Amino acid sequence: MKHSARILFGTLSLAASAFALSTSLSLAQTPDTCVTGVDLATLGPKGIVGQGPHGEKAASPDELKLTDDEAAKVKAGKFKVGISMQTVNLDWSQLQVAGISQTLAKYGVTVTGVASAEYQVDKQIADIENTIQQHPDGIISIPVDFTATAPTYKKVGEAGIKLVFMDSIPVGLSSPKDFASMISADSQGNGQIAATILASCMPKGGTIGLVNFGVDYFSTNERTKGVSEWMKKNRPDIVMKQVDFTDPSKVSQIAGDFLTGNPDVKGLYAVWDQPALDTLSSMRAQGIDIPITTVDLGLQSAIEIAKGGPLKATGSQRPYDQGVAEAMAMMKALIGQPTPAWVGVQSLPVVQSNVLESYKTVFHKDPPAELVDACNGAKPKCN
Amino acid sequence: MTETQSPAKAAVNQPGGRSALRHLLQGERPYMLYVAFAIMLIVFSLASPWFLSIDNFLNIGRQTTLVSIIAVGMTFVIISRQIDLSVASTLALSGMSASLAMAFVANNWVVGAVAGLGTGALIGLINGVLTTRLEIPSFLVTLGTLSGARGLALMVTNTKPVIITNEYYFAIFGEGSVLGIPAPILWTLGVTVAGILLLHYSVYGRRVYAAGGNPTAALYSGVHIKQVTTLAFVLTGTLAGLASLILSARSHAARPDVVQGMELDVIASVILGGCSLFGGRGFVLGTLLGSLIIGTLNNGLVLLGVSSSLQLVIKGAIIVAAVAFTRR
Repeated sequence: MKHSARILFGTLSLAASAFALSTSLSLAQTPDTCVTGVDLATLGPKGIVGQGPHGEKAASPDELKLTDDEAAKVKAGKFKVGISMQTVNLDWSQLQVAGISQTLAKYGVTVTGVASAEYQVDKQIADIENTIQQHPDGIISIPVDFTATAPTYKKVGEAGIKLVFMDSIPVGLSSPKDFASMISADSQGNGQIAATILASCMPKGGTIGLVNFGVDYFSTNERTKGVSEWMKKNRPDIVMKQVDFTDPSKVSQIAGDFLTGNPDVKGLYAVWDQPALDTLSSMRAQGIDIPITTVDLGLQSAIEIAKGGPLKATGSQRPYDQGVAEAMAMMKALIGQPTPAWVGVQSLPVVQSNVLESYKTVFHKDPPAELVDACNGAKPKCN
Repeated sequence: MTETQSPAKAAVNQPGGRSALRHLLQGERPYMLYVAFAIMLIVFSLASPWFLSIDNFLNIGRQTTLVSIIAVGMTFVIISRQIDLSVASTLALSGMSASLAMAFVANNWVVGAVAGLGTGALIGLINGVLTTRLEIPSFLVTLGTLSGARGLALMVTNTKPVIITNEYYFAIFGEGSVLGIPAPILWTLGVTVAGILLLHYSVYGRRVYAAGGNPTAALYSGVHIKQVTTLAFVLTGTLAGLASLILSARSHAARPDVVQGMELDVIASVILGGCSLFGGRGFVLGTLLGSLIIGTLNNGLVLLGVSSSLQLVIKGAIIVAAVAFTRR
């Protein structure tokens, strides 16, 4: 034991003797224009920027409205719809399910059940097969993966069941043959919002870091594409560096090490809000204070934005509204009406000055006390 | 392995009193672990200009905190011939308990700490009692509590995070520092020293070795194996509770979905550090070193800009090579 300790301390002493004793903190020279120089009224795209997985042009959720005749047909149909989610353990999923269920209920459509695959392909395949056995008229689902689930999703159409996707489409399926519609957020538009705000915080010729999801996934790919394309077009002076993660639980470590290895990085974009929060926790530990922007809004990210800390903004999805659009597309399909292959849901810029209102828009309920308190502590900048 | 001398002591007090250098030259574990760690330090120092700095070493220290702390407890469990797969879920549930206690009982760091540590200890006790009294294999028991504790953590707030606002809590567990050493690293050092004293210099430690090394002999020698084993689970659960306080203090919130799969990192650190999965062998300093080796590897590969997919391949290969290299 004593000998072991001696060798260990000897090794560490050798390493310690070669230390470069630099404890400089990376304090950003953030311009005054950071966020405040951005006009909310003109921030973000006014329409849908991105294209669907097969290059489809975006349709608006307005195109899914039912006429009185169509609504009557739906109500008379006594239809049943099953839902298959990747997980129900996220605000995003719960808001989607709420949007779908409440909208279907208005038109007398019954939800037979909500299956949660917990990100497991085999479980989702079983979920869909079991749902088919219940003989619903339609299934609304988000695929956990694009290839392994494809044959099972094909069985849905073959069984005469209408299919609406959220966020992505498995390989080899096409509309209207195999499914009615795919509804997703305008991920590129959300990426552009994150880029616009981040650019306002960056000096000329500055370097930003992109904390990107290293798994090939349509919506996250589109977000990062939105950021990098906006930067290349509007701020070509900004240098972009990227670090990828595949395991979301490792973001804090990866982002912290990335900042250590790239001290020139003075601004960050993280691909969704939880990686942004994990990056923020790593920055706090290292005494780094640089602006971050992201995509998606949750309670904790809303609180951080309200406080006016390093998390400056997010381009938010509208999962409840997306759920409403999915339900409308399903009802259109159930009564035999044509539906657009891809429907994009408008992005939403969220900054300190509109965080309370944005929370209400996204969650369809009043902001909780914690968020209101955080905002009150940052008056008058926070509203 | 006797009641009067721990294997750790035996390792350095063998007949003939060979020097540490001779052990090293003969490629004995744990000495080769230090060599492996030193090689890693040298390679990364040469390969990345950012690796060899106090700031980066503090990074590694902070990043390995959770695994290092829980791994100290896991060392006791594995030496006593058991396994605990529930530590990550225990951490998640303990964090939720701590944050909810501060939100609804009193916004006081002591209340939060007691709730978090108590929840961890309780899950450890459940694991220990089910394993020893009902004689269910610990693999199955802790697989059950892995699922149950995670489910409870998700259920208790319907998957929502619980925001923490107590500044003392942040300072004591997450963001404070003493002489420039961050609080999480101080907690790790404290737990490691306590673990070394308990395992290598106490009667209980000797009994843990006895229970894992030769349970039949230990039983006839009057060692209460069930108590010894249960206490090892309670210790691990309590340390998972401590890790939850550190993580939630750093994040300013407790989330129910955190650190899924971390039990594998903890077990890997313990095994890499010289513990035998068959019980009866292991030492706390080796476990810390195992955790630091994995943490340093994670850190160095990111600094070198290695792609995330390739990182996994390299990490796997190096961990297997390190175990093979030090397996004597």
